[in-house]
Amino acid sequence: MGDIRAALAVARKDIRSFSRYRIAVAGTVFTPLYQFVIPAFLFGAAFAVNGRQPGLSATLGTEDLPGFIFLGGLVGGLIAIAFWGIAFSLRSEMDMGTLEPSWLTPTRHETFIIGRALGGMFWFVLSQTVLFAFGIWFLGLRLRPEMLIALPAVGLAILAMVGIAYLLAAVVLIIREANFFVDTMQFVVGTMSGTAFPVTLLPGVLQPIAFALPTTYAIDILRSQALGSRPLFDTGLEYLVLVILTGLTYPLGRWAFARAELTMRRRGMLAQY
Amino acid sequence: MTVAAVETKDLVKVFERGRRTIWQRIRREPDKRDRFRAVDGIDLVVEPGEIFGLLGPNGAGKTTTMKMLATLLIPTSGTIRVLGIDPLTRPREVRARLGAMLSGERSLYWKLTGRENLEYFAALYHVPPGETKARIANVLAAVKLADRADDYVERYSTGMRQRLALARALLPNPPLVVLDEPTVGLDPQASRDLRDRVRELKAQGRTVLLTTHYMEEADQLCDRVAIIDHGRIVALDTPAALKRTIRAEEVVHLEIALDGDERPVIDRLARSATVARSERSNGTLAVTAHCASARDFVPAAFDAARSTGATIRHVEVVPVTLEDVFLAVTGRALRE
Amino acid sequence: MSLLAADIRAFFAAARKELRQQRRYPTLFLGLLFWPVLLPASWVLMGHAYSGNDPQALAAFAERAGSTNVAGFVFVGYAMYMWLSSLLWGSGTALRQEQVRGSLEAVFVTPASRLVPLFGPGVATLIPMAATFVVMGVALWVLFGVVPPLGAVLQAAVVVILGVPALYAIGTLFAATVLRFGEVAPIVQLIRGMFVLACGITFPVAMLPGWAQVWAWLMPPTYIVEDLRRVLLQGAGLAEVAPHVAIVLTIAMLTALLAIAVFRFLETSARRSGMLSRF
Repeated sequence: MGDIRAALAVARKDIRSFSRYRIAVAGTVFTPLYQFVIPAFLFGAAFAVNGRQPGLSATLGTEDLPGFIFLGGLVGGLIAIAFWGIAFSLRSEMDMGTLEPSWLTPTRHETFIIGRALGGMFWFVLSQTVLFAFGIWFLGLRLRPEMLIALPAVGLAILAMVGIAYLLAAVVLIIREANFFVDTMQFVVGTMSGTAFPVTLLPGVLQPIAFALPTTYAIDILRSQALGSRPLFDTGLEYLVLVILTGLTYPLGRWAFARAELTMRRRGMLAQY
Repeated sequence: MTVAAVETKDLVKVFERGRRTIWQRIRREPDKRDRFRAVDGIDLVVEPGEIFGLLGPNGAGKTTTMKMLATLLIPTSGTIRVLGIDPLTRPREVRARLGAMLSGERSLYWKLTGRENLEYFAALYHVPPGETKARIANVLAAVKLADRADDYVERYSTGMRQRLALARALLPNPPLVVLDEPTVGLDPQASRDLRDRVRELKAQGRTVLLTTHYMEEADQLCDRVAIIDHGRIVALDTPAALKRTIRAEEVVHLEIALDGDERPVIDRLARSATVARSERSNGTLAVTAHCASARDFVPAAFDAARSTGATIRHVEVVPVTLEDVFLAVTGRALRE
Repeated sequence: MSLLAADIRAFFAAARKELRQQRRYPTLFLGLLFWPVLLPASWVLMGHAYSGNDPQALAAFAERAGSTNVAGFVFVGYAMYMWLSSLLWGSGTALRQEQVRGSLEAVFVTPASRLVPLFGPGVATLIPMAATFVVMGVALWVLFGVVPPLGAVLQAAVVVILGVPALYAIGTLFAATVLRFGEVAPIVQLIRGMFVLACGITFPVAMLPGWAQVWAWLMPPTYIVEDLRRVLLQGAGLAEVAPHVAIVLTIAMLTALLAIAVFRFLETSARRSGMLSRF
């Protein structure tokens, strides 16, 4: 019970203190907009023939360009929360010196991951709402009601991302160049999951990595249900694989985090500024 | 029998310096990293209700000891009991009973108000929701910050931040409070203020374990002091008893101008006092001497100087402090 | 030694100091290999998803972009993105760090021209940028099999060299302005975002609404990217892009003058108020 309240307190503190950096808050919406959504939309629109998307249709079985981009962006946003919002911000707390007093309290150390995930979800929902509103108003984004069937896949993807966040936190707390690691790995995981293009376009050697990522299946289920695109596999099978991968990622992440914590306590790395 | 607030036996912490690359690990090359004994066999018993000080220079092993007590570090060997609990096997129980202020003012959220910081940590300390408000009001009053509780921490002075960090350590209503260098970086007024707060903790019946490298602080505040150097305890007693160990009533600092060898003058001085320290820079010899009576020693010192062709430029007589005790047991000054 | 010669020496010393500092951050060099390859490569694959190898879709793209070579189109755009990015980060953060650390004050009490710390760091970005262009060229060849003819590459190099003053001026104007605002990162994000949207980095400028295109053609990178694509992918000669080069050089001169004016204004007002370390 105490730990549940502690997790909520971590989330509330994260939301409170982040909301006081106004430029950073604006950045959560505007950065994906100008870095990905708008350029990708205009790039895709350059292939349009009389307002239709014959190319996208040949690749995916749907002509819905904005839908394709925004649903990729949705899972991309989740990945960003795991990498920056949870793992990297834990590292920032360590560098700022606030992780040490937090770890002096009787709250379980992994509760800080859960709390941050809750806080991250707040910003995720907020920024995606604004992004989708922008898409609907300006870019002609329309989603089918069947999208609701894909919501469990999003839920599973969230759980899997928390598992990945544990893993990442374990690495990021120990290595020196955390910023570079998070930056590049976020790009690799996002791209390999198919946020920007279908994973079938990846070179053959990279495809096994893509198929080992739970997010790949979450994106595919989401797109096939919401846009009617051709799925990679049967949706039932994709759900099954997603459940299995999430089930594996979560305990693996917790184990790695516990190991990292032990290493830090042995080597005295907690207050290394 | 009452349980000791803190008890350690043969506590050792060894750190490895440098890195061992993955390549070296794969090739199973011998580990050539330097090993550094930060804490080298500390035995300590802190009784309930006392203010106990660990006094020593920077790098003596004080903070490492504190971090092992506070469950942040795993000792290499030895045993620890905090309020009778083993922090290695039951770390969360120790943390629930321990108020710790380790890295001071850096460790707060600057974009939150003082009260918001405490609300956050109250939840982490598992303070029941019904009690949180009153508990926060109590600790804020205890550190005299109630009137500034709703300002952002970034607008606080260093002393106020330090006091807020102390308030945070008091949130779990802990029977044991550990403070690592609580007054470092504070101006004299803010330091005095914080020491008053620490005395109040004792008056409330709590045990306080603090580290410091300020001898006045240890002298004024602590019931007992352990002097720690190179990871070992070199002396442990009440401040008064420690000062008695050097068998001197007064300490005399001399500045002597001389051209030739300093040995003859030091030998002459040693006939009427204990020369604890002497240091020569260019033509000036600085001497610290422990003596029973400065009234007798100072004229003897002038005679000694004159007979060896030297001149005494400056004389200062001061009472014995813990600094002199440190000097006597380690042969070095605390600030070297 | 004449004053000018001394200033030139000081100028190169400032550039060398920046390069030395850069060398101490190894991940910067890993980044030089990672981002210029993977970022554009992922956009090329996006292009493949959008084109689906459909002849109609590719023809539509060629009509707007001037070429069916999606990989070449994206890599040229991204080369400009990398260049802008390193200029904005490099010049902006270097001057700002000097200001925060107080070393700007130390430079200002030397007899060197006060423009040295303004222009010096930009030069330091030229060497890593040249390396980035080579890495991108190799990646384009290895990953997507695109190899422009040698003549076109040499002509593209001329376009790049003629574009240096313009980009340099942009970086310097940015650095001078940043002194006033303090925080560098959010402004870099904002300005870079503006260039990404306006200058045809990942999509043809023709896709922008009419009013946005007017703005786009006021920015030198738009011309440089366009000229590079024409030279490398469409077989145009230098003579055909000459009018653009003239426009770019004119804008470059105006931007540089503006940068000097802004810097001089901030410097004078700081000397009056005695707030050099804060501006």
